[in-house]
Amino acid sequence: MLSPVKIWRNQKKVRALLGIEGKVISFTKIHVPPAGFIDQAPYVVALVKLKNGKGVVAQLVDYEDKHLNIGQKVKTVLRRTRDAGEEGVIPYGIKFKPVS
Amino acid sequence: MKVFILGGATTKFGELWNLSPRDLVKEAVSEALSDAGLTVKDIGAIFVGNMLSSSLGGQDHLGAFFAEELGTNAAAVKIEGACASGGLAVHHGILAVLSGIYENVLVVGVEKMTDHKPEEVAKMLMGAGSDPERESGATFPGLYALIARAHMKRYGTTEEQMAYVAVKNHFHASLNSHAQFVSPINLEKVMKSPVVATPLKLLDCSPITDGAAALIISNKRPKSGKKGKKHTQVSIVASAVATDTLGLAERSDLTTLSSAVAAAKKAYDMAKVKPSDIDVAEVHDCFTIAEIIAMEDLGFFPRGSAAKAIWEGKTRFGSGRPVVNTSGGLKASGHPVGATGVKQVVEIYQQLKGVAGKKQVAGAKIGLTHNIGGSGATAVIHILKSFK
Repeated sequence: MLSPVKIWRNQKKVRALLGIEGKVISFTKIHVPPAGFIDQAPYVVALVKLKNGKGVVAQLVDYEDKHLNIGQKVKTVLRRTRDAGEEGVIPYGIKFKPVS
Repeated sequence: MKVFILGGATTKFGELWNLSPRDLVKEAVSEALSDAGLTVKDIGAIFVGNMLSSSLGGQDHLGAFFAEELGTNAAAVKIEGACASGGLAVHHGILAVLSGIYENVLVVGVEKMTDHKPEEVAKMLMGAGSDPERESGATFPGLYALIARAHMKRYGTTEEQMAYVAVKNHFHASLNSHAQFVSPINLEKVMKSPVVATPLKLLDCSPITDGAAALIISNKRPKSGKKGKKHTQVSIVASAVATDTLGLAERSDLTTLSSAVAAAKKAYDMAKVKPSDIDVAEVHDCFTIAEIIAMEDLGFFPRGSAAKAIWEGKTRFGSGRPVVNTSGGLKASGHPVGATGVKQVVEIYQQLKGVAGKKQVAGAKIGLTHNIGGSGATAVIHILKSFK
Protein backbone atom coordinates (compact mmCIF):
# COMPACT_ATOMS: atom_id res chain seq x y z
CA MET A 1 0.00 0.00 0.00
CA LEU A 2 2.77 2.46 0.94
CA SER A 3 4.61 2.76 -2.37
CA PRO A 4 7.82 4.84 -2.12
CA VAL A 5 7.14 6.11 -5.65
CA LYS A 6 3.68 7.31 -4.64
CA ILE A 7 5.10 9.06 -1.56
CA TRP A 8 7.73 10.79 -3.73
CA ARG A 9 5.12 11.91 -6.26
CA ASN A 10 2.63 13.20 -3.64
CA GLN A 11 5.23 15.07 -1.59
CA LYS A 12 5.67 17.53 -4.44
CA LYS A 13 2.09 18.64 -3.77
CA VAL A 14 2.68 18.94 -0.03
CA ARG A 15 5.27 21.73 -0.43
CA ALA A 16 2.71 24.05 -2.03
CA LEU A 17 0.45 23.72 1.03
CA LEU A 18 2.96 24.62 3.75
CA GLY A 19 2.72 27.66 6.05
CA ILE A 20 -0.79 28.68 5.02
CA GLU A 21 -3.30 29.96 7.57
CA GLY A 22 -6.92 28.88 7.69
CA LYS A 23 -10.01 28.36 9.87
CA VAL A 24 -11.50 25.17 11.30
CA ILE A 25 -14.83 24.29 9.61
CA SER A 26 -15.35 21.08 11.62
CA PHE A 27 -13.31 18.65 13.73
CA THR A 28 -13.46 15.26 15.44
CA LYS A 29 -11.32 13.40 17.94
CA ILE A 30 -10.70 9.89 16.61
CA HIS A 31 -10.63 7.30 19.41
CA VAL A 32 -10.79 4.19 17.20
CA PRO A 33 -8.07 4.51 14.53
CA PRO A 34 -7.48 2.54 11.32
CA ALA A 35 -4.35 0.42 10.72
CA GLY A 36 -1.29 2.68 10.34
CA PHE A 37 -2.45 5.14 13.03
CA ILE A 38 -2.86 2.89 16.08
CA ASP A 39 0.02 4.49 18.05
CA GLN A 40 -1.29 8.04 17.57
CA ALA A 41 -4.86 7.64 18.91
CA PRO A 42 -6.68 9.57 20.15
CA TYR A 43 -5.98 12.36 17.67
CA VAL A 44 -7.93 15.25 16.20
CA VAL A 45 -8.82 15.42 12.51
CA ALA A 46 -10.03 18.79 11.24
CA LEU A 47 -11.53 20.13 8.04
CA VAL A 48 -9.96 23.54 7.46
CA LYS A 49 -10.67 26.20 4.88
CA LEU A 50 -7.31 27.76 3.96
CA LYS A 51 -6.90 31.45 3.13
CA ASN A 52 -6.28 30.49 -0.51
CA GLY A 53 -9.82 29.05 -0.58
CA LYS A 54 -8.76 25.39 -0.60
CA GLY A 55 -10.38 22.94 1.84
CA VAL A 56 -8.05 20.44 3.54
CA VAL A 57 -8.69 17.49 5.87
CA ALA A 58 -5.71 16.76 8.16
CA GLN A 59 -4.76 16.23 11.80
CA LEU A 60 -4.57 19.05 14.33
CA VAL A 61 -1.41 18.84 16.47
CA ASP A 62 0.21 20.83 19.32
CA TYR A 63 -3.26 21.86 20.51
CA GLU A 64 -4.93 22.39 23.87
CA ASP A 65 -8.63 21.72 24.51
CA LYS A 66 -9.39 25.46 24.25
CA HIS A 67 -8.39 25.25 20.56
CA LEU A 68 -11.09 22.68 19.74
CA ASN A 69 -13.63 25.06 18.24
CA ILE A 70 -15.21 25.70 14.87
CA GLY A 71 -13.61 28.93 13.63
CA GLN A 72 -10.23 28.30 15.36
CA LYS A 73 -7.33 29.80 13.38
CA VAL A 74 -4.67 27.28 12.33
CA LYS A 75 -1.57 27.08 10.13
CA THR A 76 -0.32 24.18 7.98
CA VAL A 77 2.91 22.45 9.07
CA LEU A 78 4.91 19.45 7.85
CA ARG A 79 4.64 16.34 10.01
CA ARG A 80 5.09 12.59 9.80
CA THR A 81 1.66 11.15 8.97
CA ARG A 82 1.36 7.36 9.40
CA ASP A 83 3.51 4.34 10.31
CA ALA A 84 6.28 3.77 7.78
CA GLY A 85 5.23 0.14 7.22
CA GLU A 86 7.45 -2.57 5.73
CA GLU A 87 8.98 -0.33 3.05
CA GLY A 88 10.43 1.89 5.77
CA VAL A 89 9.88 5.14 3.86
CA ILE A 90 8.55 7.67 6.38
CA PRO A 91 5.51 9.45 4.91
CA TYR A 92 5.33 13.19 5.61
CA GLY A 93 2.35 15.40 4.97
CA ILE A 94 0.27 18.35 6.07
CA LYS A 95 -1.02 18.80 9.61
CA PHE A 96 -2.46 21.88 11.34
CA LYS A 97 -1.18 23.80 14.34
CA PRO A 98 -3.31 26.35 16.24
CA VAL A 99 -2.37 30.01 15.70
CA SER A 100 -2.50 32.07 18.95
CA MET B 1 -39.96 2.45 -17.01
CA LYS B 2 -41.19 -1.14 -17.19
CA VAL B 3 -39.13 -3.15 -14.74
CA PHE B 4 -40.63 -5.79 -12.51
CA ILE B 5 -39.32 -7.52 -9.41
CA LEU B 6 -39.95 -11.26 -9.63
CA GLY B 7 -38.26 -12.27 -6.39
CA GLY B 8 -36.06 -11.09 -3.54
CA ALA B 9 -34.41 -12.45 -0.41
CA THR B 10 -31.68 -11.75 2.10
CA THR B 11 -29.63 -13.97 4.37
CA LYS B 12 -29.54 -13.36 8.09
CA PHE B 13 -27.13 -10.46 8.71
CA GLY B 14 -24.47 -10.65 11.42
CA GLU B 15 -21.19 -12.24 12.45
CA LEU B 16 -21.50 -15.34 10.30
CA TRP B 17 -18.15 -17.01 10.87
CA ASN B 18 -19.33 -20.41 9.67
CA LEU B 19 -20.44 -19.07 6.28
CA SER B 20 -18.26 -18.10 3.28
CA PRO B 21 -19.16 -15.51 0.61
CA ARG B 22 -20.11 -18.45 -1.64
CA ASP B 23 -22.48 -19.83 1.03
CA LEU B 24 -24.07 -16.41 1.57
CA VAL B 25 -24.66 -15.80 -2.14
CA LYS B 26 -25.98 -19.30 -2.74
CA GLU B 27 -28.46 -18.98 0.12
CA ALA B 28 -29.79 -15.54 -0.89
CA VAL B 29 -30.00 -16.44 -4.59
CA SER B 30 -31.73 -19.80 -4.00
CA GLU B 31 -34.40 -18.10 -1.93
CA ALA B 32 -34.86 -15.26 -4.44
CA LEU B 33 -35.17 -17.73 -7.36
CA SER B 34 -37.68 -19.79 -5.44
CA ASP B 35 -39.66 -16.62 -4.63
CA ALA B 36 -39.65 -15.83 -8.38
CA GLY B 37 -40.57 -19.38 -9.39
CA LEU B 38 -37.49 -19.53 -11.63
CA THR B 39 -34.27 -21.53 -11.86
CA VAL B 40 -30.78 -20.24 -12.54
CA LYS B 41 -31.22 -21.27 -16.23
CA ASP B 42 -33.75 -18.44 -16.58
CA ILE B 43 -31.16 -15.80 -15.60
CA GLY B 44 -29.43 -14.00 -18.46
CA ALA B 45 -26.94 -11.93 -16.50
CA ILE B 46 -25.62 -11.49 -12.96
CA PHE B 47 -24.68 -8.16 -11.37
CA VAL B 48 -22.70 -8.51 -8.16
CA GLY B 49 -22.62 -5.59 -5.73
CA ASN B 50 -19.47 -5.76 -3.61
CA MET B 51 -16.82 -3.39 -2.27
CA LEU B 52 -14.11 -5.26 -0.36
CA SER B 53 -13.59 -8.68 -2.01
CA SER B 54 -10.36 -7.38 -3.48
CA SER B 55 -8.80 -5.65 -0.47
CA LEU B 56 -10.07 -7.92 2.32
CA GLY B 57 -10.71 -11.23 0.57
CA GLY B 58 -7.98 -11.17 -2.09
CA GLN B 59 -10.63 -12.23 -4.61
CA ASP B 60 -11.01 -10.31 -7.84
CA HIS B 61 -13.00 -11.69 -10.79
CA LEU B 62 -16.11 -11.86 -8.65
CA GLY B 63 -18.66 -12.22 -11.50
CA ALA B 64 -17.28 -15.55 -12.71
CA PHE B 65 -16.61 -16.61 -9.11
CA PHE B 66 -20.30 -16.51 -8.22
CA ALA B 67 -21.52 -17.73 -11.64
CA GLU B 68 -19.43 -20.84 -11.01
CA GLU B 69 -20.96 -21.26 -7.56
CA LEU B 70 -24.47 -20.89 -8.96
CA GLY B 71 -23.77 -23.36 -11.79
CA THR B 72 -24.31 -21.08 -14.77
CA ASN B 73 -22.26 -19.61 -17.60
CA ALA B 74 -24.41 -16.46 -17.78
CA ALA B 75 -22.82 -13.02 -18.18
CA ALA B 76 -21.57 -11.88 -14.75
CA VAL B 77 -19.83 -8.75 -13.49
CA LYS B 78 -18.97 -7.02 -10.22
CA ILE B 79 -20.24 -3.47 -9.75
CA GLU B 80 -18.31 -1.31 -7.29
CA GLY B 81 -19.13 2.04 -5.71
CA ALA B 82 -18.09 1.72 -2.05
CA CYS B 83 -21.15 1.37 0.22
CA ALA B 84 -23.38 2.17 -2.78
CA SER B 85 -22.13 -0.92 -4.67
CA GLY B 86 -25.42 -2.74 -4.07
CA GLY B 87 -27.59 0.15 -5.26
CA LEU B 88 -25.39 0.56 -8.32
CA ALA B 89 -25.68 -3.16 -9.08
CA VAL B 90 -29.49 -2.81 -8.99
CA HIS B 91 -29.22 0.25 -11.29
CA HIS B 92 -27.10 -1.69 -13.80
CA GLY B 93 -29.39 -4.72 -13.61
CA ILE B 94 -32.26 -2.40 -14.54
CA LEU B 95 -30.30 -0.97 -17.48
CA ALA B 96 -29.60 -4.53 -18.64
CA VAL B 97 -33.26 -5.57 -18.77
CA LEU B 98 -34.29 -2.21 -20.25
CA SER B 99 -31.74 -2.75 -23.04
CA GLY B 100 -33.82 -5.71 -24.15
CA ILE B 101 -30.75 -7.94 -24.38
CA TYR B 102 -31.64 -9.75 -21.15
CA GLU B 103 -35.14 -10.66 -20.00
CA ASN B 104 -34.37 -11.71 -16.42
CA VAL B 105 -31.28 -10.70 -14.44
CA LEU B 106 -30.00 -11.50 -10.98
CA VAL B 107 -28.65 -8.73 -8.77
CA VAL B 108 -26.79 -10.01 -5.74
CA GLY B 109 -25.00 -7.93 -3.12
CA VAL B 110 -22.56 -9.54 -0.72
CA GLU B 111 -19.90 -8.59 1.81
CA LYS B 112 -17.77 -10.67 4.19
CA MET B 113 -16.33 -8.34 6.81
CA THR B 114 -16.08 -10.04 10.19
CA ASP B 115 -13.25 -12.41 9.18
CA HIS B 116 -10.83 -9.50 9.60
CA LYS B 117 -9.44 -7.29 12.37
CA PRO B 118 -11.46 -4.08 12.97
CA GLU B 119 -8.52 -1.74 12.22
CA GLU B 120 -7.93 -3.56 8.90
CA VAL B 121 -11.62 -3.23 8.00
CA ALA B 122 -11.56 0.47 9.01
CA LYS B 123 -8.51 1.01 6.80
CA MET B 124 -10.00 -0.80 3.79
CA LEU B 125 -13.31 1.08 4.13
CA MET B 126 -11.30 4.29 3.80
CA GLY B 127 -10.71 3.10 0.23
CA ALA B 128 -14.02 4.92 -0.34
CA GLY B 129 -12.49 8.26 0.68
CA SER B 130 -9.87 10.62 -0.76
CA ASP B 131 -6.07 10.37 -0.51
CA PRO B 132 -5.73 13.28 1.96
CA GLU B 133 -8.50 11.77 4.13
CA ARG B 134 -6.55 8.49 4.31
CA GLU B 135 -3.33 10.39 5.11
CA SER B 136 -5.04 12.21 7.99
CA GLY B 137 -5.95 8.99 9.80
CA ALA B 138 -9.65 9.72 9.37
CA THR B 139 -12.07 6.81 9.56
CA PHE B 140 -15.63 6.69 8.21
CA PRO B 141 -17.02 7.43 11.68
CA GLY B 142 -14.55 10.35 11.69
CA LEU B 143 -15.79 11.75 8.36
CA TYR B 144 -19.43 11.52 9.44
CA ALA B 145 -18.41 13.08 12.77
CA LEU B 146 -17.18 16.13 10.79
CA ILE B 147 -20.57 16.21 9.05
CA ALA B 148 -22.41 15.80 12.38
CA ARG B 149 -20.58 18.67 14.07
CA ALA B 150 -21.32 20.99 11.14
CA HIS B 151 -25.03 20.01 11.27
CA MET B 152 -25.10 20.55 15.05
CA LYS B 153 -23.51 23.97 14.65
CA ARG B 154 -25.90 25.14 11.92
CA TYR B 155 -29.20 23.64 13.07
CA GLY B 156 -28.71 22.99 16.78
CA THR B 157 -29.01 19.22 16.26
CA THR B 158 -28.15 17.44 19.53
CA GLU B 159 -26.35 14.22 20.45
CA GLU B 160 -29.59 12.98 22.06
CA GLN B 161 -31.50 13.55 18.82
CA MET B 162 -28.89 11.55 16.92
CA ALA B 163 -29.02 8.82 19.57
CA TYR B 164 -32.78 8.57 19.11
CA VAL B 165 -32.28 7.49 15.47
CA ALA B 166 -30.42 4.45 16.86
CA VAL B 167 -33.19 3.78 19.40
CA LYS B 168 -35.83 3.86 16.64
CA ASN B 169 -33.87 1.66 14.25
CA HIS B 170 -32.99 -0.91 16.92
CA PHE B 171 -36.72 -1.05 17.74
CA HIS B 172 -37.48 -1.74 14.06
CA ALA B 173 -34.73 -4.39 13.95
CA SER B 174 -36.35 -6.13 16.92
CA LEU B 175 -39.22 -6.90 14.51
CA ASN B 176 -36.86 -8.27 11.83
CA SER B 177 -35.69 -11.87 12.27
CA HIS B 178 -32.87 -11.31 9.72
CA ALA B 179 -31.35 -8.32 11.57
CA GLN B 180 -27.91 -8.36 13.19
CA PHE B 181 -29.23 -6.79 16.41
CA VAL B 182 -32.64 -7.97 17.58
CA SER B 183 -32.82 -6.34 21.03
CA PRO B 184 -34.26 -2.85 21.53
CA ILE B 185 -31.99 -0.27 23.20
CA ASN B 186 -32.71 2.96 25.08
CA LEU B 187 -31.34 6.48 24.81
CA GLU B 188 -29.10 6.14 27.86
CA LYS B 189 -27.40 3.07 26.41
CA VAL B 190 -26.54 4.97 23.20
CA MET B 191 -25.36 8.06 25.08
CA LYS B 192 -23.14 5.99 27.40
CA SER B 193 -21.61 3.82 24.66
CA PRO B 194 -17.86 4.31 24.06
CA VAL B 195 -16.73 7.25 21.93
CA VAL B 196 -15.57 6.29 18.42
CA ALA B 197 -15.01 9.75 16.88
CA THR B 198 -16.48 12.72 18.76
CA PRO B 199 -19.41 13.41 18.79
CA LEU B 200 -20.24 9.89 17.47
CA LYS B 201 -20.41 6.98 19.88
CA LEU B 202 -20.37 3.26 19.21
CA LEU B 203 -24.17 3.02 19.05
CA ASP B 204 -24.35 5.94 16.59
CA CYS B 205 -22.44 3.73 14.14
CA SER B 206 -23.59 0.88 11.91
CA PRO B 207 -21.77 -2.39 12.64
CA ILE B 208 -19.35 -4.56 10.66
CA THR B 209 -21.52 -7.26 9.11
CA ASP B 210 -21.55 -10.36 6.91
CA GLY B 211 -24.52 -10.89 4.64
CA ALA B 212 -25.99 -11.14 1.16
CA ALA B 213 -29.16 -10.02 -0.59
CA ALA B 214 -30.54 -11.08 -3.97
CA LEU B 215 -33.12 -9.66 -6.35
CA ILE B 216 -34.53 -11.05 -9.62
CA ILE B 217 -35.69 -8.33 -12.00
CA SER B 218 -37.29 -8.60 -15.39
CA ASN B 219 -38.66 -6.60 -18.30
CA LYS B 220 -41.54 -9.08 -18.49
CA ARG B 221 -44.62 -8.60 -16.36
CA PRO B 222 -44.98 -11.39 -13.80
CA LYS B 223 -47.79 -13.91 -14.32
CA SER B 224 -50.99 -13.38 -12.39
CA GLY B 225 -52.00 -15.82 -9.70
CA LYS B 226 -53.72 -19.11 -10.39
CA LYS B 227 -57.31 -19.16 -11.61
CA GLY B 228 -57.24 -15.49 -12.55
CA LYS B 229 -56.77 -14.32 -8.95
CA LYS B 230 -54.56 -11.25 -9.03
CA HIS B 231 -51.61 -11.04 -6.62
CA THR B 232 -49.97 -7.81 -5.59
CA GLN B 233 -46.84 -7.27 -7.72
CA VAL B 234 -44.01 -4.75 -7.46
CA SER B 235 -42.34 -2.67 -10.15
CA ILE B 236 -39.36 -0.33 -10.06
CA VAL B 237 -40.51 3.04 -11.36
CA ALA B 238 -37.30 5.05 -10.90
CA SER B 239 -33.58 4.34 -10.67
CA ALA B 240 -31.28 7.36 -10.40
CA VAL B 241 -27.59 7.87 -9.63
CA ALA B 242 -25.58 11.03 -8.94
CA THR B 243 -22.04 11.72 -7.76
CA ASP B 244 -20.10 14.36 -5.82
CA THR B 245 -16.48 14.98 -4.81
CA LEU B 246 -14.77 11.97 -3.17
CA GLY B 247 -13.53 14.01 -0.22
CA LEU B 248 -15.38 16.29 2.21
CA ALA B 249 -12.77 19.05 1.85
CA GLU B 250 -13.95 19.95 -1.66
CA ARG B 251 -17.61 20.45 -0.62
CA SER B 252 -19.15 23.86 -0.01
CA ASP B 253 -21.73 22.54 2.50
CA LEU B 254 -21.23 19.68 4.96
CA THR B 255 -24.85 19.60 6.17
CA THR B 256 -26.29 18.02 2.99
CA LEU B 257 -25.20 15.39 0.46
CA SER B 258 -25.68 17.10 -2.90
CA SER B 259 -25.45 13.75 -4.72
CA ALA B 260 -28.49 12.51 -2.77
CA VAL B 261 -30.45 15.69 -3.49
CA ALA B 262 -29.64 15.40 -7.22
CA ALA B 263 -30.42 11.67 -7.46
CA ALA B 264 -33.66 12.11 -5.48
CA LYS B 265 -34.83 14.89 -7.81
CA LYS B 266 -34.15 12.72 -10.86
CA ALA B 267 -35.95 9.78 -9.25
CA TYR B 268 -39.05 11.77 -8.20
CA ASP B 269 -39.27 13.22 -11.74
CA MET B 270 -38.85 9.77 -13.30
CA ALA B 271 -41.51 8.20 -11.07
CA LYS B 272 -43.79 11.27 -11.15
CA VAL B 273 -44.20 11.14 -7.37
CA LYS B 274 -43.58 13.61 -4.53
CA PRO B 275 -41.81 13.02 -1.20
CA SER B 276 -45.24 13.09 0.50
CA ASP B 277 -46.37 10.11 -1.63
CA ILE B 278 -43.77 7.79 -0.06
CA ASP B 279 -45.22 5.29 2.45
CA VAL B 280 -42.04 3.48 3.42
CA ALA B 281 -38.32 4.18 2.91
CA GLU B 282 -35.02 2.42 3.49
CA VAL B 283 -32.29 5.04 3.89
CA HIS B 284 -28.53 4.88 4.32
CA ASP B 285 -28.13 5.36 8.09
CA CYS B 286 -24.48 4.28 8.24
CA PHE B 287 -24.36 6.74 11.18
CA THR B 288 -27.29 8.28 13.02
CA ILE B 289 -26.54 11.76 11.62
CA ALA B 290 -26.78 10.27 8.11
CA GLU B 291 -30.46 9.39 8.58
CA ILE B 292 -31.23 12.92 9.80
CA ILE B 293 -29.56 14.41 6.72
CA ALA B 294 -31.22 11.82 4.45
CA MET B 295 -34.67 12.92 5.67
CA GLU B 296 -33.82 16.51 4.66
CA ASP B 297 -32.10 15.59 1.35
CA LEU B 298 -35.10 13.46 0.32
CA GLY B 299 -37.52 16.31 1.05
CA PHE B 300 -39.40 14.45 3.82
CA PHE B 301 -38.78 17.33 6.25
CA PRO B 302 -37.49 20.91 5.83
CA ARG B 303 -33.77 21.55 6.46
CA GLY B 304 -32.91 21.59 10.12
CA SER B 305 -36.17 20.01 11.27
CA ALA B 306 -35.68 16.27 10.65
CA ALA B 307 -33.94 15.52 13.97
CA LYS B 308 -36.93 16.86 15.89
CA ALA B 309 -39.42 15.07 13.60
CA ILE B 310 -37.66 11.72 14.10
CA TRP B 311 -37.61 12.36 17.87
CA GLU B 312 -41.39 12.93 17.74
CA GLY B 313 -41.88 9.51 16.11
CA LYS B 314 -42.87 10.84 12.70
CA THR B 315 -40.87 8.10 10.92
CA ARG B 316 -41.35 5.35 13.50
CA PHE B 317 -43.21 2.09 12.85
CA GLY B 318 -46.72 2.36 14.27
CA SER B 319 -46.79 6.16 14.53
CA GLY B 320 -45.23 7.81 11.50
CA ARG B 321 -45.32 8.16 7.74
CA PRO B 322 -43.17 7.58 5.82
CA VAL B 323 -41.94 4.78 8.07
CA VAL B 324 -38.17 4.88 7.72
CA ASN B 325 -35.87 1.87 7.93
CA THR B 326 -38.38 -0.82 8.80
CA SER B 327 -35.56 -3.38 8.47
CA GLY B 328 -33.65 -1.62 11.25
CA GLY B 329 -31.53 0.15 8.65
CA LEU B 330 -27.78 -0.20 8.37
CA LYS B 331 -27.64 0.80 12.01
CA ALA B 332 -29.38 -2.22 13.51
CA SER B 333 -30.11 -4.67 10.69
CA GLY B 334 -26.40 -4.49 9.82
CA HIS B 335 -24.27 -3.11 6.99
CA PRO B 336 -22.55 -5.69 4.79
CA VAL B 337 -21.54 -2.85 2.48
CA GLY B 338 -22.00 -4.45 -0.95
CA ALA B 339 -25.26 -6.11 0.12
CA THR B 340 -26.87 -3.04 1.67
CA GLY B 341 -28.20 -1.36 -1.49
CA VAL B 342 -29.75 -4.63 -2.68
CA LYS B 343 -31.17 -5.43 0.76
CA GLN B 344 -32.90 -2.04 0.85
CA VAL B 345 -34.74 -2.84 -2.40
CA VAL B 346 -35.62 -6.34 -1.10
CA GLU B 347 -37.08 -4.80 2.07
CA ILE B 348 -39.23 -2.31 0.13
CA TYR B 349 -40.29 -5.07 -2.30
CA GLN B 350 -41.47 -7.19 0.65
CA GLN B 351 -43.24 -4.20 2.23
CA LEU B 352 -45.13 -3.37 -0.99
CA LYS B 353 -45.97 -7.01 -1.61
CA GLY B 354 -47.35 -7.22 1.92
CA VAL B 355 -45.02 -10.01 3.10
CA ALA B 356 -42.85 -7.99 5.54
CA GLY B 357 -44.08 -9.89 8.61
CA LYS B 358 -44.17 -8.20 12.02
CA LYS B 359 -42.76 -4.97 10.56
CA GLN B 360 -45.36 -4.77 7.76
CA VAL B 361 -46.52 -1.18 7.19
CA ALA B 362 -50.26 -1.42 6.54
CA GLY B 363 -51.30 -0.31 3.07
CA ALA B 364 -47.80 0.59 1.84
CA LYS B 365 -47.99 1.22 -1.91
CA ILE B 366 -45.00 3.44 -2.79
CA GLY B 367 -41.51 3.00 -1.35
CA LEU B 368 -38.07 4.50 -1.76
CA THR B 369 -34.47 3.39 -1.21
CA HIS B 370 -31.52 5.75 -0.58
CA ASN B 371 -28.05 4.18 -0.82
CA ILE B 372 -24.88 6.25 -0.31
CA GLY B 373 -21.26 5.48 -1.21
CA GLY B 374 -18.43 6.99 0.81
CA SER B 375 -19.31 10.23 2.56
CA GLY B 376 -21.75 11.07 -0.25
CA ALA B 377 -19.60 10.72 -3.37
CA THR B 378 -22.21 8.35 -4.85
CA ALA B 379 -25.96 8.34 -4.26
CA VAL B 380 -28.43 5.83 -5.68
CA ILE B 381 -32.19 6.26 -5.32
CA HIS B 382 -34.85 3.73 -6.32
CA ILE B 383 -38.61 4.17 -6.18
CA LEU B 384 -40.90 1.13 -6.17
CA LYS B 385 -44.67 0.84 -6.60
CA SER B 386 -47.13 -1.98 -6.06
CA PHE B 387 -49.74 -2.91 -8.65
CA LYS B 388 -52.27 -5.69 -9.27
